[in-house]
Amino acid sequence: MLIFKNKLGFIVVLIFLSSCTSMNITEENVYSDNVKTVEASSESLESIQYNNKAVLTNATVYFEFDKSSLTSRSLQILKSVVEALNENLSVTVTLAGHADERGTREYNLALGQRRAEAVSSYLYLNGISKDRISVKSYGEERPAVTGQNERSYARNRRVEIN
Amino acid sequence: MRKILLILAFSNLLTSELILEITQGTEDPYRVAILKFEGDQKVSNDIDKIIRNNLMRSGEFNLFVNKDLLSLPNNETEVIFNDFRILDIDYLVIGKIAKDGISISVVYEIFDINKGKKIRTSTVYGIPNKNRQLGHYISDGIYEEITGMKGISSTKILYVTENKNFNLIVADADGSNEQILLKSNDPIISPTWSPDSKKVAYVSFETGLAKVFIQDIATGERELAIENSSQVSSPSWSPDGKFLSLTMYQDGNAEIYILNLKNKNLTRLTNHYSIDTESSWSSRGSKILFTSGRSGSPQLYELDLKKSNARPKRLTFEGNYNAKGSYLPNSEGIIFVHRSDSNFQIAMKYFDESFIRPLTDAQMDESPSISPNGNVIVYAITEKGMGLLSGVTLSGVKFRLPAKKGAVREPAWSGFLR
Repeated sequence: MLIFKNKLGFIVVLIFLSSCTSMNITEENVYSDNVKTVEASSESLESIQYNNKAVLTNATVYFEFDKSSLTSRSLQILKSVVEALNENLSVTVTLAGHADERGTREYNLALGQRRAEAVSSYLYLNGISKDRISVKSYGEERPAVTGQNERSYARNRRVEIN
Repeated sequence: MRKILLILAFSNLLTSELILEITQGTEDPYRVAILKFEGDQKVSNDIDKIIRNNLMRSGEFNLFVNKDLLSLPNNETEVIFNDFRILDIDYLVIGKIAKDGISISVVYEIFDINKGKKIRTSTVYGIPNKNRQLGHYISDGIYEEITGMKGISSTKILYVTENKNFNLIVADADGSNEQILLKSNDPIISPTWSPDSKKVAYVSFETGLAKVFIQDIATGERELAIENSSQVSSPSWSPDGKFLSLTMYQDGNAEIYILNLKNKNLTRLTNHYSIDTESSWSSRGSKILFTSGRSGSPQLYELDLKKSNARPKRLTFEGNYNAKGSYLPNSEGIIFVHRSDSNFQIAMKYFDESFIRPLTDAQMDESPSISPNGNVIVYAITEKGMGLLSGVTLSGVKFRLPAKKGAVREPAWSGFLR
C-alpha cells in the first residue's frame, strides 16, 4: 500500500483508507419555518387620476407580436387623441402598455413599456407636453381577453390610453 | 448525469398535494429496503409516507417494504445481510422514534448490504406537529448517503397563485405545507430567494407601477428595493447576498442595474436601445446572464463582471426566442425558455456543446427554476387556459403541481435549508 513515496501520494492513500473505514454520523435540528403573511395595501394611483379625464382621450392601439412600431391604423387613432388633448389642455393621459401571454413575463413587461413609450413619443412629437403623459406597463399580467388563439393575442398586444 | 429520457403521460388529479406519476425512472435504480420506523405509530406512519414519496419522486429508487422482506431486524445486531442479498437489495434503512413529552427525535441507520456493514447513523431532532419536516430531513439524509448528491426534500419553492386575487406562496418542495407570504389585488411576478433563503424579492403592481419589494419571510417586514419614480422589475440576488441585479426603465427602456443593498448605490450594466432584462447571477457571482433584444429577437447574453468594459457575449443562436435564462448550479450550462416553431418550451444548453437540449414539449412552458442540487427543474405550464407547475428531473421523472383553485405560476426554488 505504501508504494507512494512522495507527499501527494501519501495523502491519497490516507484519504482512501479513511473513506473505507469512516461511517457517517450526523445530528441535526429541523428548520422551523415561520412565515408571516402580509397584505399589500392596494392604494392604486390610477383611481385618483381618473377623475379629471375627458372620455375623448380614451383609446386603444394594437401591435404585432414582439413589435412596438405603430401601425397606420394606430396613427389614425392617435391623431384624434392629439386633437382631443389640444382641445382640453387640462387633461392628462396615462399610457398603459400590454403584451400577449406568449413569451416570458419580464420580457413582456419591457415590451409593454416600449409600446407605451412609442405612443408617448408620437404624442410628444405632435406637440403634447411630456408632463401631461405618464407611461407604464402591465406586460402580460392584465389581458383584455382570455384565450389561447391569435385573435385573443392580437387584442392583448395593446396600449390603453386613458 | 446528462441523460434525458423521454417522458410520457401523467395522471390528472386535482388536489394541492403533489401529483406524482413516474413515467420513466432511471434504468438502474437503487434497490432500498426501508423498514417501518419503531416507536410512536402516528409519527411512524407520517414520516414513512413522506420518505417514500420523496425518494420515489427522485426516480432513482426502487423501494421495498416490510412485507417484501425475509427478516425485519430491530437493530444492527439483528441484521442478516444474506436475507437482503438474496433479494438483490443494495441498502437497508432502519429507524427508531423517541418521543419525550412534546419533543421528538429520530435515530436512523443505513446499511450497505453489498459491503455488509453500517454506513450511517443519524439523529434528527424534530419540532412537535411538524412530522413532515422530520420526514424531509430523513429522506434527504438517505438520499445523500446513497447517491452522493445532496437531497432537496427539505428545500422550499415560491410561486404565485391567481384566484380572484394574487398570492405569493411558499411551500415545501413537494407542494405541501403552503403558506401565504403576500396577498394582493394586483399582479405579482418574478419572485426570487435571497441566498440564505430568509428573504424574498418580487415584483408587485400594487402601486399601479411595477416595483421590486424585498420581504423578510419570518417577520413579514418589507421594503421597496429602490424608491424612485421608475418602473423596477426582474430582481436577482448575488450569491453573496450583498447585491440585487434588477431592471429599471428610467430612460424609458429596460436596462439592467446592480443595486448595492447596503448603501443603495446603483451601477448600470447595460446601455442599449433594445430591451435588456431578466438578469441572473452565476454561482460564483462573476457573471450575469440576461435577455436582450439587441439582435432583433430575444436572445441570451452573458456579461463578465470581472472585466472592465466587457461586451456582452451572445450565448444562444437557435431560434428567434431564447429568454429568462439561469445558470446550472455548477455553472456548466444554462436553462431557459426556447421557442420552437410556435411552442415555448424549457431548454438547456451545456457550454461545451454546440446544440440546445429541449427538456419539455408542451406549448406554453415558462419560468424554469432549478433545484439547488441541479437535478430537478420546476417550471410553469398552461393547460386548458389554466396555469400549473410541472417538474422534470435530469433522470427523466416528471411531476405536476396544480392548485386546488385557480392558476399557479412563477416557481422559484430555494437554496439548501439544512
